[in-house]
Amino acid sequence: MIRGGRSYVSTSPAFSNDAKRLLVCTGSTVSIFSTLTGLQVASLDGHTALVTSVIVVPASSPGSRILCYCWTSSLDGTICYWDFSVPEMIKKIDVHLPIFSMVIPTLLKTPADSERSSDLYAYISAQNINKSERPKPLIGQLRKFNLTKSFIGGITLKETQRPEIITVCPSGRFFGILSKNKLIIWKVPDKESDQAILKKIVLHHTKKFSVLAFHPSQRLVAAGDVTGRILIWRGFGNRTFGKPMKYDEDNPGVRGDDDAESCSTWHWHPTDINVIAFSSDGAYLYSGGTEGVLVVWQLDTGKKKFLPRIGSPLLYFVDSPDPTLASISCADNRILLLKMPYLGIMKSISGIKLPFYAPEAFKVMCAGYAFDRAGVVALRTEDFHVQIYSLLDDREISEVVVCERNHQPADEITVVVTLVTLSQDGSVMSTVEVRLPEEDIGGLTCLKFWTSTSQNNQFELSTVIYEPHRDSHVSSVAFRPNRPMAVTTSEICDFKLWVCNDGTHRKNELKPSSGWVCYAVGSYKRRPLTAAAFSGDGSVLAVAADTAITLWDPDRNELVGVLGNTLGPIKALSFIGQSEYIVAASGGPKSQLSVWNMSQFTISWSYMLQVEAVASDQNSSTFAVLALLPKSVIQSKETTFVGRDGIILLFDVKQPQPVASWSVTKAEGGGLAFVEANQLEDDISPGTRKHGLLAFINGQHEYVLFDPFNDQELVEHSVLVRKSPAAEETVYAGYASLYGELPEFDWKKNQKAASEVVIMPSERPWETIFSGSSHTLPPLTKLCGAFLEALLQKRPAAVEKS
Amino acid sequence: MGSSNIRDILTAFSPSLDFLAISSGDGRIKIWDTSKGQIQTEFADITGGHDTNQYIKREGGHLSVDYTCMKWLAADGKKKRKLSSSFLVLGTGSGDVLALDVSAGQLKWRISDCHPGGVSVISFSKRNSCTFTSGADGMICEIDFLTGNLVQKFQGSTKAISSMVISPDGSMVATAASQLKILSSTDHRKIHKFSGHPGAVRCMIFSDDGKYILSSAVGERYVAIWKIGGGKKQSAICVLAMEDPAVYIDCRINENKKTPNSGLYVLAISETGICYFWCAKDIDGLRTAIPTKISLSSEEGFSSRNHSVAPSIFAAKLQDIASPSSAHIFIAFGFLVKPHFQKILVSLGENVKLKSSSDRVLFPMNQSLTQPKKGQDVETKVTALDRANAEDALLPIPKFVESNERFKTQKHLALNPDEVIVDLVKSRSQPKTEETQGSEKNISCKQISMEDQLRSLGILGEDSLIDKSQLASSPFTDIGIGSISSHKKMKASVLSMTPAKASGLLEALIAAWKSRSFSAEAVLPWINCILINHSSHIIAHDEVNNRMLHSLSKTVKARGTALQLLLQLFGRLHLVLAQVDKATHGGSQGPAEEDPMDGIRSDEDGDEVNDLYYGHEDEDSQISSDNDEE
Repeated sequence: MIRGGRSYVSTSPAFSNDAKRLLVCTGSTVSIFSTLTGLQVASLDGHTALVTSVIVVPASSPGSRILCYCWTSSLDGTICYWDFSVPEMIKKIDVHLPIFSMVIPTLLKTPADSERSSDLYAYISAQNINKSERPKPLIGQLRKFNLTKSFIGGITLKETQRPEIITVCPSGRFFGILSKNKLIIWKVPDKESDQAILKKIVLHHTKKFSVLAFHPSQRLVAAGDVTGRILIWRGFGNRTFGKPMKYDEDNPGVRGDDDAESCSTWHWHPTDINVIAFSSDGAYLYSGGTEGVLVVWQLDTGKKKFLPRIGSPLLYFVDSPDPTLASISCADNRILLLKMPYLGIMKSISGIKLPFYAPEAFKVMCAGYAFDRAGVVALRTEDFHVQIYSLLDDREISEVVVCERNHQPADEITVVVTLVTLSQDGSVMSTVEVRLPEEDIGGLTCLKFWTSTSQNNQFELSTVIYEPHRDSHVSSVAFRPNRPMAVTTSEICDFKLWVCNDGTHRKNELKPSSGWVCYAVGSYKRRPLTAAAFSGDGSVLAVAADTAITLWDPDRNELVGVLGNTLGPIKALSFIGQSEYIVAASGGPKSQLSVWNMSQFTISWSYMLQVEAVASDQNSSTFAVLALLPKSVIQSKETTFVGRDGIILLFDVKQPQPVASWSVTKAEGGGLAFVEANQLEDDISPGTRKHGLLAFINGQHEYVLFDPFNDQELVEHSVLVRKSPAAEETVYAGYASLYGELPEFDWKKNQKAASEVVIMPSERPWETIFSGSSHTLPPLTKLCGAFLEALLQKRPAAVEKS
Repeated sequence: MGSSNIRDILTAFSPSLDFLAISSGDGRIKIWDTSKGQIQTEFADITGGHDTNQYIKREGGHLSVDYTCMKWLAADGKKKRKLSSSFLVLGTGSGDVLALDVSAGQLKWRISDCHPGGVSVISFSKRNSCTFTSGADGMICEIDFLTGNLVQKFQGSTKAISSMVISPDGSMVATAASQLKILSSTDHRKIHKFSGHPGAVRCMIFSDDGKYILSSAVGERYVAIWKIGGGKKQSAICVLAMEDPAVYIDCRINENKKTPNSGLYVLAISETGICYFWCAKDIDGLRTAIPTKISLSSEEGFSSRNHSVAPSIFAAKLQDIASPSSAHIFIAFGFLVKPHFQKILVSLGENVKLKSSSDRVLFPMNQSLTQPKKGQDVETKVTALDRANAEDALLPIPKFVESNERFKTQKHLALNPDEVIVDLVKSRSQPKTEETQGSEKNISCKQISMEDQLRSLGILGEDSLIDKSQLASSPFTDIGIGSISSHKKMKASVLSMTPAKASGLLEALIAAWKSRSFSAEAVLPWINCILINHSSHIIAHDEVNNRMLHSLSKTVKARGTALQLLLQLFGRLHLVLAQVDKATHGGSQGPAEEDPMDGIRSDEDGDEVNDLYYGHEDEDSQISSDNDEE
């Protein structure tokens, strides 16, 4: 089982003391990267939920710089202590509260600063599970936690509406949180104890704050707000008790009677600020925001220096113990390692591109992922690129620029890449982009075919087709296996087959083909065509015409057959590898998953499921479906589905009962595919594996690759949960509730009918046929066959008896 | 091609083939990412990189180091997902052995002056994590490669060892200068000695099962295969000829016939950068096997420009065996400055020519420094189509799709889940009734046939006859002349009729045939059938049948065109005649049938008369033998 695609930028990373390693929170693990090569060296596995903070124990002396200890906190309510050089867990402390942020100020204090107390205290921002009955529940809690004795101290510093991120002073004297347009800062007591009282300082502003940072040595705090201003307070918290300030006193810029000497404002960023950090010597201030430019301010003069063209919103800036190294985390799941005084990018650690939010109107047209058989996924990214990502290696292979875009958040989005499709062998890719009309003028759909050379996986543009379907959008693209042919369907009722006029006659060329041209056009009853699929051998093309499935001979462009109606417009079609069946997922209010028999032109069985993705295995008659759980099930607080909103069902086409099922999180916007497993055979004991691996990628682009027929590994983890048998039962429980709205199914009557039917004394075949829930009842054709079979089987038995 | 020589290049694939390390003799090691085709890291001047070694000052930077051998080792077999420890172990000309942690980018350990005179080879057994090195001093060192501790050191040879390899299970060490020696790795006893290589062996490999050694020496244009476990002194059991000396050998030998893809697969790279692939079912087959060559097409580029460096294949690895005669090979080829990586399927007898892209060495995108040739210019051009893109496209063949009834019912099924259920309930009862009907029919049919068989025994069921008589009463509608096509059914229904009815039907059929209200094909079999099955009756009723048969014969004559069926009919008539004969002479028939026949015997004379008529008919229809018979 392979998991990957995690976000590297969920929380800020941390450098090891020798700055050779970077600890990055990646989901429920902490991944350790080498800063020299940018490759992952190790990972800390032990948490069961998202790791929310990682704190490297700083070296107190130069000799101890090779010591590699760190603390991590997680949403699973535990704090762990690790030796990350080995790597192994040393200690695990259970807090029983989901921790959203943790700081340990005592660690940062130098021994000279104050003699260390025996106990180590952490300040945690946790979610209060015990909900209070107050009208405005304050679920966020800022608490003190004794790490040595592992119990929560008596003090709850603050209750907030939601758990806040705590920022700590590099010298360990202060820590603070943001609370709308206030900064709340606490002074860490010199002598820590369970009951030590912390001095609280509040600084006000008129705008909502977005980030804050403390100066490493001076009493200076900087905060950024959502409008792009940076406020710097100097000398905060100097005031002693009992000496009220006056307004006319000389503290310019300070609001009210805030405890600060002065406040100055810098304004360069056009939008909200995500990053504020002081350099380790305190001479510079780094700031960055949505516009993707890192600004270096000279603190004394306010002079600026820029690192532009990062191309993505900045999220975190982390300075390393090595003064020549720093890192920036970008929103597109990249961590850039910077060579510091020059702001040069040395290395980039990049993961899978994170999902982005397309304009609502185009969400319908966008389809998520394209897989090829070798375990490569192509995803659309926010900046009009397509990222080619290897699932098996958990690495980016390449990135294809579909359309140029400069990162400028203020710009309106004018182009949306709606579809991306890979051919099965991964050599051809097609993309569809829609240029949005400006004031209803100039909208344009553009279909592009890209080919890759087998030597390096760089895709190169082969063909551009402007307005492939006149004014209509392209609703789907599918490639024909084994042959350079593709089909595009459109809402204006036609589909087009494209072929590559292959340049085989041409010698000495790098690309196998040059251009794609339209080969055939077809339509069915003027119905909007919504989906298309080729059969595994490429001999049959299925095009979904709204609610019907039309089968075509792609070579002769001839309609071969039409399969009946589904309840809603079909969203996805998939031929089931080694069988005569085709599976269709239809959307609309009555979303449905239906399996059709192509030889008999009948529906085989169907479920009322909201299907997100369908994938079929080429080498067997199984297929997998990613379905969203109905609301009623999610709200029913059934233990199996806590926190899960989707389910993967693995079906064998011959029987409507799922073979296996797994409940998953963040299923919406997820994708599913079978990929070939041969690359894995090194790992798993060599055996004849005929099934592919199932790849599931969720809405957050985290993915998991697993063997759906051998799932003993799939017990404990976060994306996928539950072994199949248990889940299978609960699935039925879940669907029973889904089918509750249906008219009462007269079970007895049917049982009676069943007994009437059976002339022979009823035997097992009948029991199995008629038992089961209403929605699993086989159709008429199936019943006939089974009945006759039962008769045929009965005879010889009777003969033997006689 | 002579210009390219990959002898001095050190290459090593990472165990999972993610990376390729290349050292081209300048003391730098480049790590290429094979999936991206980009450089990942470069190691130069490694000693400076590690904090603990800071005090060791080496002079001259990376150019003073000359690496002599390189091997990429993984700690725990081939576990790909484990991030732990995969090291690049290097031997230098000055006798040092060092290990690099590639992903961390650090020197892991270094053993200085391990082999005075230079390290010549590093070998590693997959099963236990020990590394063996040997060098010019003839010693063999075993190193724990996780820690870099020297485990043991022993004399392998009195001369300089040029090549050494460990068996996969770690029990044997094969050393070679020019003579191959196989030692036990534990007690250093000599097990085998093979002689035959004239020069120093450059590359050597154990097969996976540890039964064979493949080796190739400097200047030799072949790969020799030696079998372990034979006599003390042996020559090579198999020699694979090449055009140039080999620099790298890989093999996959699986002699277990039960497992799929058993056989011997050998891969070698020659000095000139050509990859050879042999495969055979067994060692005898391998002797005669013709190598499949993988080479770079040289027509492009290098002859006209770039005389100094030619693209070549410089690393390859047998990845897996796809079928008994083909294998997936992962190769790195092109130029050292920008290698390309590709997984190719090589099958026996199909030489592979790879295209090298020489004009895109350093610039991954289409911006080449020199203007590409015209042909290439055309082909890199992007085709653009506007909205009139489907002008010469194939239009669909218009087709009327029948919506068959099943399809319609399915429509209903799909309409509404409620209806689905209702339909399901209905359909459940529907098939029931249909099925019961069907089965009844089947049973009744069987009964009928049984009755027919036992008809003479008087077990004739009245009931079953009733419907059949009804059938006969309106012959055309009820039997459905056209519809029943199978001969058996026809026979059954004809047999079920009373003789009178049958003759009535016969008459009607003849009339129909005459009037051409039914096609001959439909009618004639029936007539035929009736004549066969009710011959006795027809024979009995002379006057009526007389006329009838007469007219039939006329028609038969008239319809001479439908000869095929008529001939058949004639045959039947003939048979009837013969039967009449038989009936006259007393029964050779079964006793069961005799009784009714006896009942009819009184009419035998009539039969004779009938026969006469038959005879006349037949005479008319060109056969006179019947007359003679009569």
